[in-house]
Amino acid sequence: MSAVPASETSLPGVHYARREDHRLITGTGAFTDDLRPDQMLHGHVIRSPHARARIVRVDLSAVRAATGVRWVMTAEEVIQQGGGSLPNSFTFPGRGGTTQQVATMPVLAHGQVLFVGQPVAMVVADTAAQAQDAAELADIEYEELEPVVTTDQALALGAPQLHPNVPGNLSLHFESGDEQAVAEAFARAPLKSRHRVHSQRLVGFPMEPRAVIASHDAATGITRLFTPSQGVTGMLKSVAVASGIPAEQIDVLTYDVGGSFGLRSNPYSEHVLVVLAARHLGRPVGWTGTRSEVFVSEYQGRALTLDGSVALDRDGRILALRFDDTIDLGAFSAGPSSLIGARNLSVTMGGSYRVPALYMNSKLVYTNAVPMAAYRGAGRPDIAFAIETLLDHAAHEHGFDPVALRRINFIPPEAFPYKTANGTLYDLCEFHRTLDRALELSDWAGFEARREAAARQGKLRGIGLACYLEASGAGAVPADTVQGDFDEQGQLTIYGVTGASGQGHETSFATIVEQELGLPASRVRYAAGHHGRALMGNGTGGSRTLYGAGSAIVELCARIREQAQTLWAESGGAAGSAPDLATWIPRLDAAQRARLSAEGKAQSGSTFPNGTHVAEIEIDPATGITDVVHYVAVDDLGRVISPQLVIGQLQGGVVQGWGQVFCEHAIYDERGQLSTGSLMDYALPKAGCIPTVEAEQIQARTELNRVGAKGVGEAGCTGSIPALTNAMMNALRRHGVVAMDTPFTAARVWEALNPAA
Amino acid sequence: MHAFEYRRAASLSEAASTLSQDSEARPLAGGMTLIPSLKHRLNQVSQLIDIGRLPDLQGIAVRADHLWIGAATRHQQVADSADVGRVVQGLAQLAGLIGDPQVRARGTIGGSVANNDPAADYPAAVLALDAVVVTDRRELAAADFFQGFFMTALEPGELITGIRFRLPRRSAYAKFKHPASGYAMAGVFAADLGAAGLRVTVTGAGGGVFRWTAAEQAWASGSTVPTLDHPDLLEDIHAPARYRAHLAKVMCEQALRELA
Amino acid sequence: MNISIEVNGKAQSLEVEGRTLLVEVLREQLGLTGTHVGCDTSQCGCCTVLVDGQGVKACTMLAGQADGCRITTIEGLGGQSLHPVQVAFTECHALQCGFCTPGMIMSVTSLLSRHPNPTDEQIIEGLAGNLCRCTGYANIIAAVRQAAGAMAGSAA
Repeated sequence: MSAVPASETSLPGVHYARREDHRLITGTGAFTDDLRPDQMLHGHVIRSPHARARIVRVDLSAVRAATGVRWVMTAEEVIQQGGGSLPNSFTFPGRGGTTQQVATMPVLAHGQVLFVGQPVAMVVADTAAQAQDAAELADIEYEELEPVVTTDQALALGAPQLHPNVPGNLSLHFESGDEQAVAEAFARAPLKSRHRVHSQRLVGFPMEPRAVIASHDAATGITRLFTPSQGVTGMLKSVAVASGIPAEQIDVLTYDVGGSFGLRSNPYSEHVLVVLAARHLGRPVGWTGTRSEVFVSEYQGRALTLDGSVALDRDGRILALRFDDTIDLGAFSAGPSSLIGARNLSVTMGGSYRVPALYMNSKLVYTNAVPMAAYRGAGRPDIAFAIETLLDHAAHEHGFDPVALRRINFIPPEAFPYKTANGTLYDLCEFHRTLDRALELSDWAGFEARREAAARQGKLRGIGLACYLEASGAGAVPADTVQGDFDEQGQLTIYGVTGASGQGHETSFATIVEQELGLPASRVRYAAGHHGRALMGNGTGGSRTLYGAGSAIVELCARIREQAQTLWAESGGAAGSAPDLATWIPRLDAAQRARLSAEGKAQSGSTFPNGTHVAEIEIDPATGITDVVHYVAVDDLGRVISPQLVIGQLQGGVVQGWGQVFCEHAIYDERGQLSTGSLMDYALPKAGCIPTVEAEQIQARTELNRVGAKGVGEAGCTGSIPALTNAMMNALRRHGVVAMDTPFTAARVWEALNPAA
Repeated sequence: MHAFEYRRAASLSEAASTLSQDSEARPLAGGMTLIPSLKHRLNQVSQLIDIGRLPDLQGIAVRADHLWIGAATRHQQVADSADVGRVVQGLAQLAGLIGDPQVRARGTIGGSVANNDPAADYPAAVLALDAVVVTDRRELAAADFFQGFFMTALEPGELITGIRFRLPRRSAYAKFKHPASGYAMAGVFAADLGAAGLRVTVTGAGGGVFRWTAAEQAWASGSTVPTLDHPDLLEDIHAPARYRAHLAKVMCEQALRELA
Repeated sequence: MNISIEVNGKAQSLEVEGRTLLVEVLREQLGLTGTHVGCDTSQCGCCTVLVDGQGVKACTMLAGQADGCRITTIEGLGGQSLHPVQVAFTECHALQCGFCTPGMIMSVTSLLSRHPNPTDEQIIEGLAGNLCRCTGYANIIAAVRQAAGAMAGSAA
């Protein structure tokens, strides 16, 4: 099969919001399962039915003999082929200089299984149905063992140890800040409050089920891997490590991706298995997950418990902040879970506030559940959730107005650039501006009258805000680089590492070029996911792509401008004038055009998106159903390149936060079985769940990168989870509910309002 | 799915005959329950006999003292029918609340009733309206038809041909949808059968549809609907039993408000 | 067994198994990969196509059941130009990753054929069988209104 180019068709008279749209609205996109090459064989994964068990005996002889079966892989075959475990992305030093103990996930289980859904074997056959039929003939004997389902169980004295190298199931006990200074501040403080949030385990649920296809070319020795990913380079490196195949012999191609939210940046067992199978069998091998198996095998999100304490002076000024956090890693370290539990929970733990003394410690714990990984925000929404609800709790406990309590603690404009007590350097933020505007748009002042009117109708209204701040991704590689070439028609193609899964990069990047070079956006094409040029760069994640790869594109434009100027002058262009690139470049010959090719490189670190979100809700006490009546988001996202796309990201992010607050929860039972293993039990947000977000952005350009943008991808849920929760508690507190975990399902709200006798 | 044969029955008698000769064969109408179940390999069939287009199973007809709905009538047809809306409004309401638009385009009343999912909607109407389930062999009164969790009085191979609903003076259905599945967490059908009395039935809250006599009494006397008191109320990860008991009350009140 | 279906205006005679799903016929035998599979409990709606003018989940229909039916997939909606619903989707930025989009567009088309001027409630009910994880739905609802307006305008 040939490489699939991104379709650039567009029809006249249509005001496309994005270049990507035509192929997607006509069903001519290329998602991985659409790509089936000729002669493709089909894989089916046999998975563990138990949360924790010893594998006693594996007899796959009947499977091997079944119709259409070409190969059956167990851990033995993987190891023979040079494969091993999926690599862990990050480690951190622990308290007292201890070393983190990491348990990586074997591509296929051997000796034991540690979560329901863990891959044990793969059957490769001529058709998917044959592979599935054959798999049913597997004879695998397990000795079931007592699982540890919660972090409490895993940490309990005498708990079964899941991994030989991880005593007490504690991978890492991390800390950041000054414990002593915090303890002293608490000792002196006249006012203290404590509040625990449980950011519950979630199923990320990108709409496209995971799929991988590998195709091996015996002549070149290169295996091509087609897969949704968040950037081909990172995926390639990890697959190489996990499969034992040299990186030069692997090519990763990512075309259209049906959402990722953080869950596609790391390889899964199936990536390695199809690569090994394609090489062994000399035919393409593909695997597409059913939704049921994706539920029990795709890494899950959140799963954090954050126990926060704040010390205040009599005026409400924060003297110190402390967090004791527990992170449920699941059975293995298979993604950036350590980054989430260590860096991400600590880097912005003070939020938008001036906090003289900060301390956090987090315990990263293995349990018998699906591994946890990055899901939209990867810890930063969780810490914002914890801080913002803690402040509301403290306000209520000590009689402060929740808005005034925030104002008095905001880092004031004159304090920027501001270094937090644990070392994070924030650039300029204007918290008062977003707060003032959000209060105005939400008619915060008029709430009490609305609450009373609703109460007369028997409804319970609540209003809540969140003045959140988060840190976008710092970048995992030294720089983002892009390359640009012009073709005969004068179209600029930019090659990069990072690939979109709905963010509209093809459009935003073209807009940046138009703004920088004056070349119409329609003449600019971004080609992601085509490895073959030695480009360095971050994948899409951590809300940094627009400014990260975008800064590299700004640099690229600067290089092109210089080179064009030189060539223009050489070809007799008048001094002091510049060519109109759109009309000039098509007139150049190939050699001249080649001189315009350039590379752009930029190193961009974290930015600090922030804002104020206000949610107004109304509970029907008869049923416990909550209506969101108004949602306001005033955000500082730095420079906004594509307003429509930014608002789309906000709306989508806000709704994912709504899902966490009102209906989503990956629930494991006492046997370690996922009770919410399908859409029949795992509720996702549906149309109408929330009104259109009333969104405004203050355009405070950041100097931290060449684009001037802060990240927006994860801002929506970082604001909505605490804003909605605070609104709910504002309503529920009046009726005797002191504390309540998310999700605020109708049943749980009703139960809270009507406690059992 | 496991492999099976698919055949379209040419007639009701051919379908019945095939089913009686092959114990692993199953009838297929809409397939909204059967197909997902086969996809999950929860069951296995030798053949599916598609009865969805049989003329004998089609049609909505209002007669002097009853409403006839053919077993293969799609939910959307019932919801859209002006006749149904006129004579048994609660039934049209109910059909419009099943699943989602795509499910309503295909799912059938016969399939739903024969399956007797404890959270399905139709059983509430069938029981409340003292309907008669007509099969290719006999007629079954609603009270005898539903026998608990996914169980009915149907014998192996027996096919529902249609349902005969008596015509109430007025009727209404109120449903609290499960936020994930869309099935009834509590669905209440209220029907005023005139001389035959008032009927209130509940689905979704327990082990199958049942009559709620305490609510009927409250309705008759104009007093407050009580909280549902019923053995075997469903208790699961989504809600405790007392919430469903409460929801039944709320849904009953909603239905009765419409009939006031 | 053999089935005869009309897909996007073209008659097709196809050899299928009893267990073959309509979505498999469309994607694998006819190469119409615009119709997507997003779940296995018939809830996400990514596989929605029109069968005799009605929105139906192609993952929950056997190929055999479709014999004799007229099927329209996303690829057949516009033809040479774009259908007003497709236009509205891009103009309103009602898609991000695009995976749910074909099914969403087909459901909206079906909705507007039943309710050319839908109320908010009818829109929300009309989308009840389609999930989206990216957009948060607001722009999809806006697209429905825009398409309804455009189609009413052209029908006038």
